[in-house]
Amino acid sequence: MSLMDSLAAGLSLVGNVEAFFMLFCGLVIGVIGGAIPGLSATMAVALTLPFTFSMTPINGILLLLGVYKGGIFGGSIPAILIKTPGTPASSATILDGHPMAERGEAGRALGMALYASCTADLMSNLALILFAGWLASFALSFGPPEFFALILFSLTIIAGVSGESLLRGALSALAGLLLATVGLDLVYGTNRFTFGDPNMMGGLNFIAVLIGLFAIPEIIAMAWNPVAHLGRTRALGKTRCTLADYWGSFKSIIRGSMIGVFLGSIPGIGAAPSAFLSYSEARRTSKNKENFGKGEIEGVAASEAGNNGVAGATLIPLLALGVPGDVITAIIIGAFMVHGLQPGPMMFIINVDIIYGLFIGLIVSSVFLLVVGSVAIRGFKYVADVPKRLLMPAVLVLCIYGVYAVNNNIFDVGVMFAMGWVGYLMMRNRIPAAPFLIAFILGPLLEDNFRQSMLMSGSDPSVLFRGPITWFFWLLTCVTVFAITRSTLRKKVPLS
Amino acid sequence: MTTKSLHLRIGLAAVLGAAILALYAIPTFVFSPSNVNIIVLAPTFWPYVLSGITALVGLGLIATSFFSDLSGFDTEDTIELSEGPAPWLRLVALAVIMALIMFGLPRLGMVWTCMLAFVACAFLFRTRHPYMALVCAVVVPLLLYAFFAHVAGVAVPQGNFVRLP
Repeated sequence: MSLMDSLAAGLSLVGNVEAFFMLFCGLVIGVIGGAIPGLSATMAVALTLPFTFSMTPINGILLLLGVYKGGIFGGSIPAILIKTPGTPASSATILDGHPMAERGEAGRALGMALYASCTADLMSNLALILFAGWLASFALSFGPPEFFALILFSLTIIAGVSGESLLRGALSALAGLLLATVGLDLVYGTNRFTFGDPNMMGGLNFIAVLIGLFAIPEIIAMAWNPVAHLGRTRALGKTRCTLADYWGSFKSIIRGSMIGVFLGSIPGIGAAPSAFLSYSEARRTSKNKENFGKGEIEGVAASEAGNNGVAGATLIPLLALGVPGDVITAIIIGAFMVHGLQPGPMMFIINVDIIYGLFIGLIVSSVFLLVVGSVAIRGFKYVADVPKRLLMPAVLVLCIYGVYAVNNNIFDVGVMFAMGWVGYLMMRNRIPAAPFLIAFILGPLLEDNFRQSMLMSGSDPSVLFRGPITWFFWLLTCVTVFAITRSTLRKKVPLS
Repeated sequence: MTTKSLHLRIGLAAVLGAAILALYAIPTFVFSPSNVNIIVLAPTFWPYVLSGITALVGLGLIATSFFSDLSGFDTEDTIELSEGPAPWLRLVALAVIMALIMFGLPRLGMVWTCMLAFVACAFLFRTRHPYMALVCAVVVPLLLYAFFAHVAGVAVPQGNFVRLP
C-alpha cells in the first residue's frame, strides 16, 4: 500500500465529526485532569479508559490520546499558579513558572507554556509519523530472541530511570513480572498461583491492576492527609506572552522538542527527565542563564517543550514494537487490547488504516490543544475550586464502575482495591509504580519469547545472542545498568 | 525514616518474600507436569528465576543500606507521622469501606453501594461541603449507571432490593 493509499485509508476512518469530537473531548478532559493537582494525566487516562469500551477503536484511542496530550499540558497550569505540578512532568516548569506568577506574570508564563507545548507536540507527532513506520518495517525481521532482548532492555531502563533508585525500580519490575505469572501456563496449561479460583485462571485483569495502582493510592493518600492538596492560586496578571517572547525562546523550544522526541522514543524514560534535561540545556546555553530559577520565560519554554516533545514520541515504540514508552502509553496499550488490536510491527500491515487515522488525529490534536489550552488558562480558577474531598469519592465510584465494566466481574473490583493498597505501600516506600505496571504488561511477552527461543534452539541459551540485533540490545542493557549505577554513585545518593 | 532504614526494610521484605515464594508458594501453587523434558520450559522455571533475582535485589538493597553513603531523610514522612493516630484510623476506615463495598455490590447493587460509599468517603475525608456531598453521592452513581447500563450495555449489578430501569 502506498503512502497516499494509507493516508486515504486513515482519513476514511477519522474523516468524520465524531472522531474529531472525541479527540477534542479527550483534550478537554486531559487539560482538566492534568490541571487538578493530585489527579494526574495518568489517572485521567486510566479513568477515561472504561468509557472507550463501547466506542469504535479509533474513536476510543483518539479520546485517550487527547487526554494524554491535554493532561501533559494541563499539569503546567497548577505548576505555575500554585507551585504544585499537576503531573510529574511539569515539575521543571515550577522552577521559573512560579517565580513569574509571583511577579504577576502568570498569564505570560502560561501563554509561553502553551505555545511551547503545542510546538513540541507538533514536532513530536511529525517524528512519530516519520520514524514509527520505518522502525516497524525494521522490527518485522525480529524473532523471539530479538524481542526477548528488546523487552529486557526496556524493563531495565524503565526500572532504572522511573524512580530515584535502580534497585527499588528493579524490585518493582520484578513484582510486576511475578504478578504476570498468575493464571494458566502458556505451554502446559497448568495453574500458576490461581489458588483454585476460576477468576484467576486468565490472569489478573490488566485494567483492574492499572487503575488500582494509579488511581486508588491517591484516594488512600487523601484518607491519610485530607488537607495535603490545599494551596494558594496566583492571579493571571496583566502581561501576556508576545510573539517576541516566543521567538526569543524559539531555539530552546526546538532543542527541548528534539530532546523530548529522542528521550520519548526510548521506552521507559518518560516526560519528567526530558523536561529537566531540556531545562538544564537551555540554562547552559542561554544568554540569561543567571535569571534561570528566578522567573526566566525561556526556562518555562524549555521545560514545557521537553515534556510535551515526549508525548508523540512515546508512541513510536508502542506502535512500532508493541512496547509501551511510559505508563500512559501502557494504559493506551490496554485500549488497543480491549478492542482486539495488538500494537507492533504487524499492525502496520494489518491495521494500516487505524495507524494513519491516529497520525492524522495526532496532527489535528496539536491545533486543538492550542484552542483548549487558551480557554483552560482562563478557566483554571474554576478547576482549582473543585473540592478535592468530593472529587476523590467520585473517582472511587468511577473506578468501581469502570473496572467492573471490563468483564462484568465483581472479582476485578476486589483486585483493584488490593492493587490500590499495594500501590499505596509502594508510594509510601518510594518504590516507583511505573516499572510494576509495564513489567506486568510485558511479563507474558518476555516469558513467551524466552520459551519460544528455547524451543527454537533446543534449550540452547546462545540463541539469545544470535545476531547483531540481539547484541545491540544486550549492549544497550549493559550500558544502561552501568550508566545508571555510575550516575547514582557519583551523586552519592542511593545506589539503589 | 532515613533512606538507610528504608533500604534495609525493603531489602529484608524482598528476601523474605523471595524465600516464601521459592520454598512454599511455587512448590505448592504452581503445578508442573511430571513429564517436562526441558527444564527451562517448565511452568515453575520462570517463577523460580524471578524469585531468585528478587532475592538478589533484596540482598543488594540490604548491602547498600550498610555499605553505601545513604544519608537522605524522608522529611515528608516525618511530618506526616507527627499527626498522631488519626491518619491510621482513617486508613483503617477506608479499608473497611472497601471491604463493605465488596460485600454490598452483589447484595445492594452497584448504584446503592456506590452512593453509600461516596457519602462514607466524603465524610471520612472531612469534606467542607456536606450537602453537596449528599447531592453528588446520588447524582454521580446514577449518571454512571445511565452511561454504563444504557450506552455501554454493561450488566450493572442491581442487587436484591431496589432495581433501577
